[in-house]
Amino acid sequence: MRVLMFGWEFPPHQAGGLATATHGLVKGLLGRRVAVTLVVPFPIAESPLPTLRLVSASGRTTFTRLRIPTPALPYTSGGEYLRDVRRELEGPRGVTVYGKDLFAEVDRLAAVASDIAAAEPHDVIHVHDWITYRAGLAARRVSGKPLVAHIHATEFDRAGDGANQEIVHREWEGMSEADAVISNSGVLKRQVVARYRIPDEKVSVVHWGVDHTHETWIGRANPLPSSPPLVLFLGRVTWQKGPDYFIEVARRVANFVPDARFVVAGTGDMLPWLIERAAALGLAKQVFFAGAVRGAEVDRAFRMARVCIMPSVSEPFGLVALESLRSGTPCIIPRTSGVAEVVHNAFKVNFWDVDEMTNKVVGILKYPELHRELSHRGLTELRAPRFSLDEAARLTETVYRSVTG
Amino acid sequence: MPDICLYCQVHQPYRLRRYRFFDIGTDTDYFDVEANRSILRKVAAKCYLPANQLLLRMIEDSSGTFRLALSITGTVLEQLADAAPETLESFQRLVATGAVELLGETYYHSLASLADRDEFEQQVVLHRMTIHKWFGKWPTVFRNTELIYSDDLASVVAGLGFQGVLVEGAERALGWRLPNFVYEAATAPGLVVIPRNYQLSDDVGFRFSNRNWHGWPLTADRYASWIASSPGDSVHLFVDYETFGEHQWADTGIFEFLGHLPAECARRGISFVHPRDLAKRQPVDKLAFPTPTSWADTERDVTAWLGNGLQHAAQQRLYALRDRVLLSGDRRTIERWRRLTTSDHLYYMCTKWFSDGDVHKYFSPYDTPYDAFIAFMNVVEDLEQALAPQLVEQPPHLAWPGYGEMACMA
Repeated sequence: MRVLMFGWEFPPHQAGGLATATHGLVKGLLGRRVAVTLVVPFPIAESPLPTLRLVSASGRTTFTRLRIPTPALPYTSGGEYLRDVRRELEGPRGVTVYGKDLFAEVDRLAAVASDIAAAEPHDVIHVHDWITYRAGLAARRVSGKPLVAHIHATEFDRAGDGANQEIVHREWEGMSEADAVISNSGVLKRQVVARYRIPDEKVSVVHWGVDHTHETWIGRANPLPSSPPLVLFLGRVTWQKGPDYFIEVARRVANFVPDARFVVAGTGDMLPWLIERAAALGLAKQVFFAGAVRGAEVDRAFRMARVCIMPSVSEPFGLVALESLRSGTPCIIPRTSGVAEVVHNAFKVNFWDVDEMTNKVVGILKYPELHRELSHRGLTELRAPRFSLDEAARLTETVYRSVTG
Repeated sequence: MPDICLYCQVHQPYRLRRYRFFDIGTDTDYFDVEANRSILRKVAAKCYLPANQLLLRMIEDSSGTFRLALSITGTVLEQLADAAPETLESFQRLVATGAVELLGETYYHSLASLADRDEFEQQVVLHRMTIHKWFGKWPTVFRNTELIYSDDLASVVAGLGFQGVLVEGAERALGWRLPNFVYEAATAPGLVVIPRNYQLSDDVGFRFSNRNWHGWPLTADRYASWIASSPGDSVHLFVDYETFGEHQWADTGIFEFLGHLPAECARRGISFVHPRDLAKRQPVDKLAFPTPTSWADTERDVTAWLGNGLQHAAQQRLYALRDRVLLSGDRRTIERWRRLTTSDHLYYMCTKWFSDGDVHKYFSPYDTPYDAFIAFMNVVEDLEQALAPQLVEQPPHLAWPGYGEMACMA
């Protein structure tokens, strides 16, 4: 089985969980002897996985030395994208930006996809989220191989009522045209079926796993991190992730545990507002803004934290929860998240229920037995085979086989 | 032909309401009055009333040959008197037939036997008085919470005047012996030990509606034939009363099964006996229980209640307050503390099977065992603060677990 996969993020180029998820999936597939050619829109010096064939969307089949940084990210809105472009252009480094806006960027990827599809032998095409859907459709037109559309989050998850209709349309187009759809949770599948009218039987659910061979995976419980106790928010600082609820929880927890400290690790369009809000609530000394954290910093952040809160308004999966549990850090997750479908040893709350989150955070900070049990049980649970990369890859391979016949 | 000894456990706890950290010191309503009432009424409608009615008819139809034992906790009796008095009356009518023996246990269905002997004895005496108050009977055979039993307990039970005790027929204690006989407690001469036949009991309690089980569908006819072919003197079937109509719904045919059992047994010459009849029989051997056994889970030990750090911390914290609670002399405080000793609170904190997604096993009102722990600890914290006014002066964050115990020791 040979897969031609179109991605958008791949470590170290990442803004959110898509890079981690793609990396995990590819690693799992390679482990099952599925040959993967991954096409990414940015030039990359070397493949982080030895057997992965990584192709830059510049159309070159050799790894390019040409630096064409692009600020287009799957999570930014059109307006934000243009602002980022301007900042890049005004920056000290000379940068070339191809495409006028995010859509042009996406279409450009689709344009080179045909060439790549013609050059790269494959049995199935796999695309991730709307930004790569058109590339996948273009590739299918050339090779005639079946197309699997993977949905990680819909525009409604990211933007709520402010959904961009063009993006919604492209999501619908990609999933309707595809031969099969993979959703990373049951809750997302229900949305895909109800809102996008994709037939139920066409959508398979593949929950994410964690890398059991990851260097931080040593399967031991976290000793109680040192004082002062640290409460962590890790994720993009955007409407979808509910950072405003985190600040409200911080305010309440600080009343009961005055030495508690709160860390916002991540960046996004709500950051300036959030900083002001924290200051206005008199939390300037308690809340720290760490900016975007990556790689080893992520593990360090989890290690330092006594508890991680995920107050997402919408969370089709929520890989952060698995990363938190893997680090032995108890996690509070939204009741309606995809990860809540598979993880048991975590607190599940309604994202708006600030009082209940406060109650749970205070409980974890106050009772070391509770921290120990959650930490230990969370680690034990994630060790199960159903949370392995291989399981996600196995289910994905089943979908490939169903469309290749 | 062995005899058959049927006993059913009737119990409902006082479930806590979602008691949050900021309720501490401001709110003394620990229990979810509405939820407890509605659950009790639901169970009464689905199980207690129809099962009582059926048993009454069976007793009348059998002209005195059908008999069984019930053990009814103080917490469920209180709640019945409050929310479903007609159900309590139906239990009274049932007992008045003389065909129902009532057993002794702790009033609060507690784990006091594992924590505090004084408290254990007081709760047993309290239960005995309560049973006499409502039913005019004095129990002579004992069953501890969830059949928890060990050698240490035997002499305490005997000391309280009981002639027999119901235990789990765990292989660990029985060894090569069969559960279908009565034995003598190794550490309490004269105390008759009646082991549960868990195989045949669980056929009804757990497997009755399981369509993948080879015994399905289980009819009274087939079941009576299994009993008839069992070796030994008497088969001891101990199940939750809620098995009838609540754990196994009426549409599984559980009531028809129960209703036909006396006739099917009579046809094969199997007689029904009371535990107190068995307590008068000659034991075939002595039986030692060096470690506590219970009827819970496949482990048949006490790890369902005291199997993780949360449960141990909660239990220790609760019992550390006992002396001060009793010294307060305040009836309401003592009652509330004792309601917290009910084993269900610790059972909700069990994490043994939780990762497997087997959450239904717990009949828990909480999402997770961790929620159960937080609610319980918050309540205990409030109780402790109310006991020691000097602690209320402290900001709540200083009242860490352990602080109270230290204050108590000093």
